[in-house]
Amino acid sequence: MSKYMLIYRDPAEPAAAPSPEEMQAFLAMWGEWFGKFGPAIVDGGDALEPGGRMLQPGGIVSDGPYVEAKEVVGGYSVVEAESFEKAVEIARECPIAKVGGGIEIRKLAGYNA
Amino acid sequence: MNDPRELVEHFFRHESGRLVALLTRSLGVGRLDLVEDVVQSALARALLTWSRRGVPDDPAAWLYRAARNLALDALRRDRVRDKILPRLAGMGEPVAEPLESPRFAEEIGDEPLRLLFLCCHDAVPLESRVALALRTVCGFSTPEIARALLTSEANAQKRIVRAKERLRDEPDLWELHGLPALRGRLDAVLATIYLLFNEGYAARADEPIRRDLCDEAARLGRMLVDHPAGDDPRVSALLALIGFHSARFDARLADGAWVLLDEQDRSKWDWAAIREAMRRLQDSLRGETVSRYHVEAAIAWEHCRAPSFEATDWRRIIDLYIALDRIAPSPVALLNRAIAESRLEGPRAALARLESVPASRIPVDYPLWHAVLGDLHLQAGNLDAARAAWTTALSHRPGRADADLLRKRLDNTPIDAS
Repeated sequence: MSKYMLIYRDPAEPAAAPSPEEMQAFLAMWGEWFGKFGPAIVDGGDALEPGGRMLQPGGIVSDGPYVEAKEVVGGYSVVEAESFEKAVEIARECPIAKVGGGIEIRKLAGYNA
Repeated sequence: MNDPRELVEHFFRHESGRLVALLTRSLGVGRLDLVEDVVQSALARALLTWSRRGVPDDPAAWLYRAARNLALDALRRDRVRDKILPRLAGMGEPVAEPLESPRFAEEIGDEPLRLLFLCCHDAVPLESRVALALRTVCGFSTPEIARALLTSEANAQKRIVRAKERLRDEPDLWELHGLPALRGRLDAVLATIYLLFNEGYAARADEPIRRDLCDEAARLGRMLVDHPAGDDPRVSALLALIGFHSARFDARLADGAWVLLDEQDRSKWDWAAIREAMRRLQDSLRGETVSRYHVEAAIAWEHCRAPSFEATDWRRIIDLYIALDRIAPSPVALLNRAIAESRLEGPRAALARLESVPASRIPVDYPLWHAVLGDLHLQAGNLDAARAAWTTALSHRPGRADADLLRKRLDNTPIDAS
């Protein structure tokens, strides 16, 4: 078994704000996902606040690399799976994927395990 | 922590309404836009947190704390804070400690109801009232309102903006203290709830019944009936009316097509809802008033209490429609009266009745008017006249389920050879 990080990528310019009803539906999808893959999700992770600081080589600090980017990292979770295929399968059913967000799936090297 | 799937239906939507009401009270109607932003952010924060950690035991209190803190943050950035902050602070300190649900409910009090009364203020144009109530009290987004009211998003947005502009210019709106002030606006509030229910009951779009609108109307009505400002027999009558009609929803549709009253499976009616509506109707009989809501509820009750279509007391229904036309004259009342008369006296009598209606009272662009005329002609054996009337009905853009029914009738009715 290895751990995989699911890195959630949202469009840099999100669509219109979701309605309360849509938010509740989205939340229920998370419940669905945790319900289905609960033991495999070793860390539900977190969401990232928009914006940030980018420390460039040479010590220059800028307001994040996001200005030109089409999508930004919006959050992450960590799952445990026996193969990359299995990790992709879990990601495919994640609410982020279901509402059209992108997910980068990366295997943790395990140096710190 | 609990599974988000177990949150009650429409929880976010209804909490949004409660929070908007509460914060509007503290911050003023002029700041409705800020209030909406704050509530939206609080809900978004809840979504992010609860999706990872589960739903807290008292989600309403959690949202309340989040919204209140966000409002304070927003105001700190705002120049008006000196005037507003003390009032917001006065919203009470319970936010610092875990809140019990009952106590929280007390905190919210009757703010949503006050907000509803505010939406029905004289200054707000009629067509904006339902839109504003859906937005602020019921927590609908602009696209949801546009879909509900069969209008474009731009138009829905315009109605809301106009309403807010009007309210902004009205000083001391929340000073609806005292029951007399609230009671004075009860007519408008009842009319708004009735309109909301109608929008859902007779929706003309692709979806024949918009159940969530009907449910919202019932929810607002129940809020009203439990409040001293709603201590009026008409409120009970309106709730009875909503209850009787809602009880038949499941039987009215099969695969998106209408099932007409004479074909409905009466065992599919929601008898618990009918009993509840009967209690409301009983309540509405206290006092002297007979409003349109009373009469319409009584008509709906007549249909519910008939053991079969054939056993319906048409005489009584005709009398009720005559009474209704006197209290609240409308082509719909005339039309329904004619239908009842056709059951009792035959289609020719009903046609004669409709033909005697002065031209000025005929709603020429109301598809149902022509649809019913066509049905009566069919029963009287005037096939060509029936076909002509149905064709006219179709030309006035009826809803999808209505149109399907009309086309079916046209297909099944031969051209008169005689």
